[in-house]
Amino acid sequence: MARFVVRRLIGMVAVLFAVSVLTFLVFNVIPNSDPAQRMAGRAAKPELIATINEEWGFEDPLPQQYLTMMGKVFSGDLVSYKGRENVEERIVEGIPATVSLCLGAAVIWLFFGILFGYLSAVRAGGLLDRGLTVLAVTGISMPVFWLAAIFLNYLTYKTEIFPSGEYVEFTTDPLEWANHLILPWITLAILYVGFYSRVLRSSMLDVMNEDYVRTARAKGLSERRVMSRHVMRNSLIPIVTLFGLDFGALLGGAILIEAIFSLNGVGQYAYESLQSLDLPPIMAIVLYGAFFVVLLNTLVDIAYAYLDPRIRLGTSAQ
Amino acid sequence: MRKLGLALLVLALAGGSTLGLAACGSSSGGKEGGTLTGSYASFPEYLDPALAYSTESWTAIYDTYLPLLTYAHASGAAGSKVIPGLAVGLPKISNGGKTYTLTLRKGLKYSDGTPVKASDFPASVERMLALESGGSSFYTSIVGAEKFAETKQGNVSGIKADDKTGKIVVDLTAPRGTFSNELAMPFVALLPKGTPVKNLTADPPPATGPYEIVKSEPGRAWSYERNPQWTNANGKLMPEIPGGHVNKIELKVVGNDSTQVSEVERGKTDWMQTAISADLYPKVKEKYEGTQFRVEPTVSTYYFWMNTTKPPFDDLKVRQAVNYAVNPAALERIYAGTLSALHQVLPPGMPGHKPFDLYPHDMAKAKKMIAEADPSDRDITVWTDNESPNNEAGEYYQGVLQELGFNAKFKEINAENYAPLVGNESTPDLDTGWFDWFEDYPHPNDFFQLQLSGESIQPTSNYNLARIDDPTLNKKITELNEQPLGPQQEAGYAELDREYMEQAPWAPYGTLTTSTFVSSAIDLDKVIYNPTFGNDLTSFQLK
Amino acid sequence: MAPESIAATGLAGAGPWRLGLRRLRSNRVALASLGLFALIVVFVLAAPLWADHVAETGPNKTHTLQKIEVDGEKRDVVNPEGKPIGPVWLGAGGKFFLGADSRLGRDEMVRLMYGGRTSLFIGIVSGLLTTALATLLALLSGYFRGWTDTVISRAMDVIWAFPVLLFAIALGLVLAVGGLQIGPLHLSGGSIWIPILIIGVVMVPYMARPIRGEVLSLREKEFVESAIAQGAGTVRIMFSEILPNLISTIIVFFTLNIAANMLLESALSFLGVGVQAPNASWGTMIATGNNLISSAPLLTIIPGTMILLTVLSLNVFGDGLRDALDPKSKVRFEAHSGLSAPEGSETIGGLTP
Repeated sequence: MARFVVRRLIGMVAVLFAVSVLTFLVFNVIPNSDPAQRMAGRAAKPELIATINEEWGFEDPLPQQYLTMMGKVFSGDLVSYKGRENVEERIVEGIPATVSLCLGAAVIWLFFGILFGYLSAVRAGGLLDRGLTVLAVTGISMPVFWLAAIFLNYLTYKTEIFPSGEYVEFTTDPLEWANHLILPWITLAILYVGFYSRVLRSSMLDVMNEDYVRTARAKGLSERRVMSRHVMRNSLIPIVTLFGLDFGALLGGAILIEAIFSLNGVGQYAYESLQSLDLPPIMAIVLYGAFFVVLLNTLVDIAYAYLDPRIRLGTSAQ
Repeated sequence: MRKLGLALLVLALAGGSTLGLAACGSSSGGKEGGTLTGSYASFPEYLDPALAYSTESWTAIYDTYLPLLTYAHASGAAGSKVIPGLAVGLPKISNGGKTYTLTLRKGLKYSDGTPVKASDFPASVERMLALESGGSSFYTSIVGAEKFAETKQGNVSGIKADDKTGKIVVDLTAPRGTFSNELAMPFVALLPKGTPVKNLTADPPPATGPYEIVKSEPGRAWSYERNPQWTNANGKLMPEIPGGHVNKIELKVVGNDSTQVSEVERGKTDWMQTAISADLYPKVKEKYEGTQFRVEPTVSTYYFWMNTTKPPFDDLKVRQAVNYAVNPAALERIYAGTLSALHQVLPPGMPGHKPFDLYPHDMAKAKKMIAEADPSDRDITVWTDNESPNNEAGEYYQGVLQELGFNAKFKEINAENYAPLVGNESTPDLDTGWFDWFEDYPHPNDFFQLQLSGESIQPTSNYNLARIDDPTLNKKITELNEQPLGPQQEAGYAELDREYMEQAPWAPYGTLTTSTFVSSAIDLDKVIYNPTFGNDLTSFQLK
Repeated sequence: MAPESIAATGLAGAGPWRLGLRRLRSNRVALASLGLFALIVVFVLAAPLWADHVAETGPNKTHTLQKIEVDGEKRDVVNPEGKPIGPVWLGAGGKFFLGADSRLGRDEMVRLMYGGRTSLFIGIVSGLLTTALATLLALLSGYFRGWTDTVISRAMDVIWAFPVLLFAIALGLVLAVGGLQIGPLHLSGGSIWIPILIIGVVMVPYMARPIRGEVLSLREKEFVESAIAQGAGTVRIMFSEILPNLISTIIVFFTLNIAANMLLESALSFLGVGVQAPNASWGTMIATGNNLISSAPLLTIIPGTMILLTVLSLNVFGDGLRDALDPKSKVRFEAHSGLSAPEGSETIGGLTP
C-alpha cells in the first residue's frame, strides 16, 4: 500500500510539472505581447524597454525564465506584470470566496442530485421519473454563463429579489454572506444536480438488477431496508468518486460564475489575469487548480486501492 | 444551537444599526464630515504615485500625493490650469527654457509627521526612474536622467536641491514647453527619502495632501482618512487646495456595472467612478440628470489611423476618401450618446482647439475619389481592441471600407495587448485600425508629439500608427514646444491641427463624454470633475 | 478471417445493429429529439435563402442609421439613444424579424441562422476530431499497454489536470492574436479552425479514457488472442478486430460530445476567445446581447435558447442511442461543459498505470 501511495504521489508531481511547463510555453508564444512594452507605458523609449527586459529577465533563455518563475512560485515572491502585486497574497485573499461558493454549491447539488436521482430510480418509468429526467437533461444542456446572466438580470436588477453577487465575508455578516451567495450557488449547482441525478439513477438501476439485491428481496427483507442497505450504499460509490473530482476542479476557480457575479475569488482573479495576459498569476492559479484536481484524483485512487486490492496488486505487478 | 442563533441575531442587528446610522447622517443638509462610499469597476492598477498611470489611479491619488505643481481643483477648462503644489510658486524658467527653478514651501509635513525636504524631490524622481515607471519617458530630458535610468547608480545630475533654502533647480537637455505640466504629474509627487523602491500599492507611503490612504487591499477595497498634518500644517500653506468635506472615504471594487448603478440608486454607495455602460446610460440619464447625474467631457480623440507608408493608404486621395466615408453620426449612435462627433486632431477642452471639419460626410464623393485613385492593393486588415463599443466602431469601419470597394479583414485584439501589438513594426498587415488618445496633460503637444511626429516612429511601442513623417510638420511640432504655452503657441497648434487633417493620416470621429453619478445623499453641484484627474474626492459633500 | 471472428463473438454484425435500430424506433422521446435536431439543422442551412430573399441583408451588414417601414410606419433600426429595434416579426416583410442585434443594427434573425451554422459546424467538426483522436489514442494505449499506455495516459492526465476552461481560454487568447502555423498550413487569428482545434484537443481525455477501458477488456478476449496467434498484423487487429466492436460506443460518445463541444464553444465565444468578430456564433451573440441585457433581454435569451434546444436534443438522442445500441454499457460520457470527469470506475482505470 505504501508503495502504491508513493507511486501516485510521484505521478502527481510529474503531472504538475508538465502542467507548469505547458502553461509557461503557451504564454511565451503570444506574438508581440512583450510584457516589458506593456509595463513601460506609452511613449516608452527603447532604452526603457531594454532596462525592464534586463531587470525582469524577459530576455533570458526560456528554461532559465521558467526556473526563475517556479522559484518565485515556491518562495511566495511571485509578482504580477500588471499592477506588480504579490500573486500569492491575492490568491490567498480570494480563497474564502471561492471556497464558500464551491462548498455551498456542493451541498445543494449533492442534496438535490441524490434526492432527484433516488426518486427517479425508485419510480423509474413513471411520471415523476420523466419529469425529473426532463429537468435534469435541461440542466445539463444549458450554458452556465447564460443562465447566470439571465438570473442576474431578472432576479437581481429587475426585481431585486436577490442581491447581486459580491462576496460578503462570513465573519462580517453570516446572513449577508449566504444571501449574496444564494444565486451563484443555485446557478452553479443546477448543472451538477442534473448530472448527478442522472448518474445516480442509472447506477441505482444497475445495482437493483444485481443478484445480491434480488437475493435480499427474495429473503423477504423490507423494500426500505433493501434500498438503504444494499442499493443506495453501492450506488453512491460513483457519486462519491465524481464528487471528489468535480470539487477538485471547481476549487481551481469557477471562472465564469465568479466573473459574472463578481465574487472576487480565485476564479475571478484568473479571469482578470487572462484578460490582461498576465502570466505570473495565471501560472500560479493554474498550478493551484491543477493541484486540487490531481490531489483529489490521487485521494480517490488511493481510497479505491484501499477498498479494492486488485487495483493495488495490478499496479505493483507491472 | 441557541447561542449561535443569538449571535446571528446580534450580528444582524449590529449590521442593521450601522446602516441606520449612515442613513440618519446623510439626511441633514450641507455638512462637513461623514463617510463617502464609492465603487470602482476594478482596482486601480497602482496606488503608488510613481507608477500610477491611468485616470482611475489618478482619481484615487489626486488628493493624497502632491507634486511640486498641481492642477486647479475645478471642472472644465479652469481645471486645466497648473497651480503651485508643494512649491511656493510656478517655476522660474531661464537658460532659454532649459532650467526650471522652484522653491519648496516651508513647514510641510508628511502624514506620518516627517518634515518634507527639498531633497525628497530628486529622491522621488530617482525612485520613479528606478521602478521603470510608465511615466519615465516624461523625465528623460532631465540632465542625467537617462543615464540614471540605465545604471540606477548615483544621482540624476540635473536636479539640485537645497534642504536649507528649499530651492530646487532642474536642468533639461533641451527646452521643453510641456515640462511644467510634467512637474504636475503624480509620477513626481514627493515621497520621503528612503521610501522603498518597490510597488507600494498594498502599503501606501505617507501622504502630503488632504487625505491619506489608511487601508489598501488590492483587488477589493481601499480607504482614506483625513491627513492629520493637513489641518496642522500643509492645509494652511496651500490654500488653493481644498481640504475636503468628508472625514472618511471608503472605496471598493464592484465588477458589475449594473450592480454599481443599482447601489448608487439605492444609496448603498454614494458614488461610482466607472462610466455607465451604454445599456444603462439612457435610463440613468433620463431619470437622474441634474439631480444625481451629470455628463462630463473628456479630453480625448477617437480615430481610425491609416498607415501612410503602405498601399493603399500611401495615397492621399484614398485617405481623404475614407475621411469622407466615415460618418461620425453613425458612430455617435454606436457609442449610444457617450461620444460627440469630432473630425480633427485636437478635442474640445484642449488649448488650441478650434473646431473645423474638412471632410463632411459624403459617401458619393468618397466613392468617386476611390474610383479616381483606383488603388491596386485592396486587401487590407482593420485592427481594433475588444472593448465595447470600440470593437463595434471597428466593425462599422470595416463595413465602410467594404462599401468603398476594399476587401477588409477584421482583427479584434485583447485590449491589454492592443497598443503593444499595433505599435510593433514586426506585426504583419498593419494597414488601418481604431485608436483613442486621452490627454496626459492639457498641452496640445501631447496629441502631436507621439502620435504624429515622424521623430516618434520607433520599432516597438510606436504610437505614430499612421507612420506619418512630414519634415515640415515635424519641425513645427518641435519649435512649438520650445516655448511654454501661450496664445501664440495655441494659434500655432490650431494651424498644425488643420495641416495634419489636410494630410488625412487619420479619420477622427469623436470625443468621449463620461459621467458623474452620485447618490441622493451627495450634493451634485459641488462635485468637481477635473479633465485630467476625474472626480475630485475633496469636492464630495454629504447633504 | 475477420468477419468470422466478429460473427463468432456475436458482439457486432447485422443482428445487433438491426436490434438496436428497432429499439431506437420504439423510443419516441429519442426520435422526437432527433426530429428537433433535424429541424435546427434545416433552420441553419436555410440561412442564405432567408438572408437573400426575405431579409435582403447579410449577417455582418450594419444598418446603424437606417430606417425601416414597419406596418407603414418609419422606424429607426437603432434609435438615437443606441437601442436596437425589437422583433418586428413580419411587419417589415420579414426584415428584422427578430429585430436588430446591437447598435450596429444587424439583422438578428439572419445572424441567428448564420451563427447557428458556425456553432453547429464547430460542434460537429471538433466532435469528429475529438472522436478520431480519442479512439486512436485509446486503441494504441489499450492495445500495446505497457509504456505506450503510460505515456498516453500521463499526457491525458496533464490535459485533465488543467482547469479545462482556463486552458481553453489561454489557448484561445494566444491563438486568436497570432494564429497558428502547423507545417505549411497557416491558420490566421480569426479562423474558425482555431476554436475547432482547441475544443477538439481539450475534450480528448474525457472520451479517450472510457474507450481505453473497453479496448483493454477487448484485448483480453479470445478472438483477439486467436488473431494474434494466427499472426495477424498489429494495425489489422486494431482496426478490423477491435475497432468494429467499439463502433456503437463511439457513435454514442460522438453524439454526446457534439453537445459538450457546443457548450464549450459558447463559453469560449462568450469570453471572446472562440469565434472572432464580426462573424456570429450563438456564443458571440450571447456576448453581444449581454451588453444590452437590461434594455433588450431578448438578444441574450434567443441565442441561449437555441443552444439549449440543440444541446438538449443531442443529449436526449445520445441517451436513447446508448440505450438502443449499447444497453449493457458500463462506460459513460456525459455532456458536461467540460467541467467534470466521466464516471468514476473508469477514472480509476485511466489513472492506474
